[in-house]
Amino acid sequence: MPDGPRTETATEAAPDRLSEFPRHQERIMKGNYAAAEAARLCRVGFVPAYPITPQTTIVERLSEMVSNGEMDATYVNMDSEHSVFAAAMGAALGGERVFTATAGQGLFYAHEVLQAISHFRLPMVMCNVGRPSIPWNIWSDQSDSLSQRDTGWIQYYGESSQEVLDTIIQAYLLSEQLNIPVMVVLDAFYQSHTSENIWIPEQDLVDEFLPPRRTAEMSIDLAQPKAFGGLVPPEHYYKFNYNSWKDVNKVESLSAKIAGRFAGHFGRKYGNVEAVNIGPQTRLVLVTISSITTTARGVIRKYPDVGLLKIRLFKPFPKASVLDALKNLPENAILANVERNFLGDREGAIQQEMKRALYGSRNLRMLDFYAGVGGKDVPPLTIEKIIYRATHSPEDINWIDVD
Amino acid sequence: MKPALEFLIKDEKVYSGALSCRGCGWSLLVRHLSSILGENTVYVAPASCFSIISGPYPLNDLKGNIVHTVFAAASATATGVRASLDRQGKEDTTVVILAGDGGTFDIGLQALSGAAARGENILYIVNNNGAYMNTGIQTSTATPYGAVTTTNPNGGFKRTWPKDLMGIIAAHNLPYAATGSLAHLEDLRRKMKKAKDTPGFRLLMIDGPCPPGHKTDPAMSISIGRLAVETRLFPLYEIEQQQYTINYIPEKEVPVTECLKHQGRFRHLFREENYPILEEIQEHTDWYWKQLLSKT
Repeated sequence: MPDGPRTETATEAAPDRLSEFPRHQERIMKGNYAAAEAARLCRVGFVPAYPITPQTTIVERLSEMVSNGEMDATYVNMDSEHSVFAAAMGAALGGERVFTATAGQGLFYAHEVLQAISHFRLPMVMCNVGRPSIPWNIWSDQSDSLSQRDTGWIQYYGESSQEVLDTIIQAYLLSEQLNIPVMVVLDAFYQSHTSENIWIPEQDLVDEFLPPRRTAEMSIDLAQPKAFGGLVPPEHYYKFNYNSWKDVNKVESLSAKIAGRFAGHFGRKYGNVEAVNIGPQTRLVLVTISSITTTARGVIRKYPDVGLLKIRLFKPFPKASVLDALKNLPENAILANVERNFLGDREGAIQQEMKRALYGSRNLRMLDFYAGVGGKDVPPLTIEKIIYRATHSPEDINWIDVD
Repeated sequence: MKPALEFLIKDEKVYSGALSCRGCGWSLLVRHLSSILGENTVYVAPASCFSIISGPYPLNDLKGNIVHTVFAAASATATGVRASLDRQGKEDTTVVILAGDGGTFDIGLQALSGAAARGENILYIVNNNGAYMNTGIQTSTATPYGAVTTTNPNGGFKRTWPKDLMGIIAAHNLPYAATGSLAHLEDLRRKMKKAKDTPGFRLLMIDGPCPPGHKTDPAMSISIGRLAVETRLFPLYEIEQQQYTINYIPEKEVPVTECLKHQGRFRHLFREENYPILEEIQEHTDWYWKQLLSKT
């Protein structure tokens, strides 16, 4: 017998009725197509492409839109993900707005170039549809993007496909203001291949929000030739990194500011994090990213003393936003981090980041739950097991569905 | 009769003070190339000696933009640069890759093949000095049979033949590919001009003298390059859509040993027990030349 109570169905409560968003079209589409729509709406000029499941339908859809003239972009079939990101780097240096997408092995293969792009301080946005490493597994897992969290890219995780579309639009503004590249992550299949109602903004609405890319100093200028990326002596390299660090420190507040502007302009509100039912009465908070959040939202409606902390901006980890979201949480409450990643360490990525964020500020008990690794489903029952285990003599680190 | 002066650089596009070794071919090669391409040029350099020669931050010895990029992806980076220039109406800007043999024959081959097959409007220059010289003379698949490098686990020198890059390139059915030598500057400059004026993906492979790597006298760089052509170790030819033209046919049959004997990397071959290897190199060189002749 599994431990904990059982639920009979998935999220029982009906989703909130979406209100009408003016200057939008309501469509039913899969998450990958929503990501492609976002790239079109952002007037992306260069798309280097390489197929990999479960990302492929993003680049397929982009190819279709370029081919039929819906999108004025240069689309190139590259020879690998390493080349995809190298081409993205070249075009971004040339001043173009660049978009691409990858997953799993493709992201691992591009690791070297991810580093180069962030160190060149090039703005761009990419979508990663999370899947883990070989032995072959194409299902939902965030070990790919989370293992790239130290490459200098900003990372967002979208709970819904609407959020993915909306975040891509915000990401270009953030990326081009700070000259830091952004990765927007969506879940394999739960989002990439699942149809949802999506509100597609009109082009004018996006244009008002996102101006054309201004070419930064770090662009190829034929009138003022420069050398990009040559051997940098230690004292200069140190200073470059200091400058990057200063801008990384601006991400959290600028991200919130841009999300605020987005809410005013488009009518949909996102925070760096979102607190659900976190207050003096809360004794347990589930910490989630991506679509597991939606499942948890449904489950906790039955538990008045269980809250939810959704992390949307994951890298750089939004320490101030997290502390603010937990400010009314009593000191004897427990945090349960729900992981869809395994990084070869004792603790999963969410718990690692949460500990770093809370260190010196809050001394809350923290429990880690490996829940959805390798695409293993995280249904409401698993969330209920986590709640039960967390409140009934848990281990510090738990693999919740192993038995 | 006026002497031919077509090999003179009239409009210098490289600043003085390049960081190359004495007798290195890179600077001379790039001085000629840049004087022909002009300033409306973007250079892309993967990890290579030239990435160092052209200057550490904040220097740039070129009168043009240069993008230093990761080892495996010069052709992919150049693809992105090309696309951005084209989108901005700068189709007349030349995008040129300056790569070594390691970045071309080995780690950069996939990206090179991709860009060549797509017909990207890019000029690819490979300075083939036959090893990873920037890291200190390690074996590449361009390293000649019999040459000593610092990584030869099988008895101290290379015992496999170099990859036939030009054959691979020809198979991509390019509008223009050619070999060139700094000892034949008029021929080389003509090929650079032709490569500049031909749209599509073009590749020039230049024989790269490297005194520290080849263990040669820096003053002999050009002379040894001339001997490489005379001995047919480095034939001069062009390939246009798989049509071969040999640009220089040596008058006499000069044995390969005349070129090899000046290079310390082949010194061991002149010991009696290694004479059969010298014979193999001569046979292979004759065979390759015959193959070339049969293609013209």
